[in-house]
Amino acid sequence: MNSNRAHDMKLIQNSVAMTVTLISFGMLFATLFLGYFLLRFNSPTWPPVEIQNMPQLIPFLSTLVMALSSVTYYLLEKNGPQRKLMWGLTFILGLAFLALQWSLWGALKSSGILVSNGMVPSIVYGFTWLHAAHIVLGLIALLWIGCLIFMKSPSLTSFKLMNVGKFWHFLGVVWLLMYLMIFVL
Amino acid sequence: MAFVEQHIHDAPTSFWSKYLFSFDHKVIGKQFLWYGIFFLMVGGLMAMMIRWTLAYPGVPFPLIGNLLFPHTGGVVPPDTYAMLFTMHGTIMIFFAITPILIGAFGNFCIPLMIGARDMIFPTLNMLSFWFSMASGVLLLASLCLPLGAAAGGWTSYPTLSTNLGQPGMGQTLWLLSLFLFGVSSTMGAVNYITTVITLRAPGMDYFKMPLTIWGIWLTSILNAIFVPVLGAGLLLLTFDRVFGTTFFLAGAAATSGRGDPVLFQHVFWIFGHPEVYILILPAWGIVSDLLSFFARKPAFGYKMTALSLTTITVLSTVVYGHHMYTTQMSPLLTQSFMTLTMLISIPSAIFFANWLGTLWKGSIRFHSPMLFSLGVVFVFGLGGLTGLYLASTSIDLYLHDTYFVVGHFHYTMAASVLLGGFAGTYFWMPKMFGRAMNETLAKWHFWLTMIPLNGIFTGMMVVGYAGMHRRLYNPFIYEFMNKLIPINQFITYSAIAMGLAQFVFLYNFFKTIFFSKNEPLASDNPWEVGTLEWQIPSPAPHYNFKEIPHVKCGPHEFGNPNLKTGRDFQYQTEELVEVK
Ligand code: HEM
Ligand SMILES: [Cu+2]
Repeated sequence: MNSNRAHDMKLIQNSVAMTVTLISFGMLFATLFLGYFLLRFNSPTWPPVEIQNMPQLIPFLSTLVMALSSVTYYLLEKNGPQRKLMWGLTFILGLAFLALQWSLWGALKSSGILVSNGMVPSIVYGFTWLHAAHIVLGLIALLWIGCLIFMKSPSLTSFKLMNVGKFWHFLGVVWLLMYLMIFVL
Repeated sequence: MAFVEQHIHDAPTSFWSKYLFSFDHKVIGKQFLWYGIFFLMVGGLMAMMIRWTLAYPGVPFPLIGNLLFPHTGGVVPPDTYAMLFTMHGTIMIFFAITPILIGAFGNFCIPLMIGARDMIFPTLNMLSFWFSMASGVLLLASLCLPLGAAAGGWTSYPTLSTNLGQPGMGQTLWLLSLFLFGVSSTMGAVNYITTVITLRAPGMDYFKMPLTIWGIWLTSILNAIFVPVLGAGLLLLTFDRVFGTTFFLAGAAATSGRGDPVLFQHVFWIFGHPEVYILILPAWGIVSDLLSFFARKPAFGYKMTALSLTTITVLSTVVYGHHMYTTQMSPLLTQSFMTLTMLISIPSAIFFANWLGTLWKGSIRFHSPMLFSLGVVFVFGLGGLTGLYLASTSIDLYLHDTYFVVGHFHYTMAASVLLGGFAGTYFWMPKMFGRAMNETLAKWHFWLTMIPLNGIFTGMMVVGYAGMHRRLYNPFIYEFMNKLIPINQFITYSAIAMGLAQFVFLYNFFKTIFFSKNEPLASDNPWEVGTLEWQIPSPAPHYNFKEIPHVKCGPHEFGNPNLKTGRDFQYQTEELVEVK
């Protein structure tokens, strides 16, 4: 069997599996968004109860951080020599995103927006919790890739890099949508 | 598509790697089978208690009643009754049918029938089993809580399932357990879909795959798409219960900007309707194959059957509203959902007619797998027809939440899938465990199951049509219901009979696996069929195929008069002999 064909086959297998996986994760978030739209459009006014001092700066920053981390991951996949640096940047940006979310929850609380205050707080907290939980999964995957990179492990294939990357970019897109829905529109 | 052969791995040697943490799809399949049979017994016992309460309200449950409910003198208490029907539904759907049809047959059949050495991701496969194990343990643990397990129905609508309706940990554990189950199902789905797409043996085109594989593959696609929808609903409900969000809380608070209980119904049924097809598609696939195998005829309209199954899969994603006619949807929506639901009967009728076409003028061999398959044809026919009544909005406003619905879904889901599962178990037994089960006992098992089964579920439809609601502890406090007590007792007796009949199966099953070591192994191909798994030894060796087969013809080549081999069937690896 020639190795080119084996490579193509592996590429197909990985792409199929990852596509299905992302569809599954996508449906989870799509359901949240569906809920958001149903609640929003069935409500005579939006927000139904006046929400004051919704933090704006922090979520904007987390969006920037998320976007940057996608760029650094892209560079990590692209070039060999700066791999370690790019991996480090991606990982730190990921952690920074989590830290920002943490401070977002704190800011919400200190401006009086508590979890049990109704629909909008439910959405803000519930959605960001779920997304943050997936970021934790993503960081674990990044950590695994990092171990392989630093140990110069031969089992670090381009497929692994590709799959983890797809997942990370996917989380970025989900965050962008959430940000637009919750904080901008 | 380019095919790449999987390597042959060494045979596992320790008990640990062979039976517990095995990567072998056949072993994982068997683990799921044991798991499913165990939960089938648990769920069955619960059904008996439910039925007893409906036939003899206020009378202690015989034999073990005093043990289970000492403080009421053996009578099933009302709150326990709600818990019982909730757990019965949950267990049967998610912890019995799903593991058996999808977990066991999916795992066992896919690689063997498409000519692969294993699933594409064996580790993921093992993880999937252990996730479902964790989920099962959580569910059983919730039965031991002081406030009891979940009691809001398998649909767990808010407000029955919020803290208002269900204080205590029971419902929360139920949610977590189902979430883990969902993770396990999704892992399985990724594995099955990728395996079918990329590991088919050379020559195994999509339209040369056995219909069993078609069914399981379509199911996996639905699983991958819709189980996460349930997952999202479960998580939000968990947030409501544990962290105090208000996604599904309403009531007086609606004006203060709380959530919406009906939202959960949408989410649940967007998942829930595909879920019922998730359960039935593998059974349809198995039955479509077995009918052809035992009628000794090619499956009538094979391609049409595969395509109708696909059409049903697609349509099943857009009909969920028929479960919610009574939630004050706009008439425009109910009409659309009704039309879409009715549309499903077209492909359903096509493949059903194909089943009959397969049987027509066949030289039928009435072995036990065939009896059970014919049973499926009968009960699914009845169940599918009753669906049409429910699909019609005006009729459903009356029938909704009555025992008619319960009869309908037990015919389609419980009866068809159960009989399909038995058909598959009897059929693949020689390949799974090396020996076929006793045929005489199997036939007894069939008739002793089939007759009471129809008594139970027809009875349910009758009392439902007469207006008996589901999920009532004692419907007979309403005077007009009193005349229905005798029918309910009849249903209960039928249920007890059917329950007892399952011991015939259990005896046969255990005897064949554990107490037949002295008997000879089954031959490679005891049923004389041509699909790939019957060309390798029984039980299947751990590497499945020494050499990857090259597929040249379809799975149902029977009764060709030009065959010169002395057989009336062709193996899939043989060049197709033309029929002139
Ligand atoms: C042949 C076409 C079918 C049609 C037109 C149909 C239609 C319906 C309708 C309209 C309902 C809602 C009744 C109500 O709650 O008032 C219903 C309930 C149900 N159906 Fe079907 N059905 C069909 C086939 C199936 C199949 C194949 C299965 C399972 C394998 C199934 C399983 C169920 C279940 C589980 C429920 C009720 C769930 C619950 O409320 O707890 N149905 N069906
Ligand atoms: Cu439905």
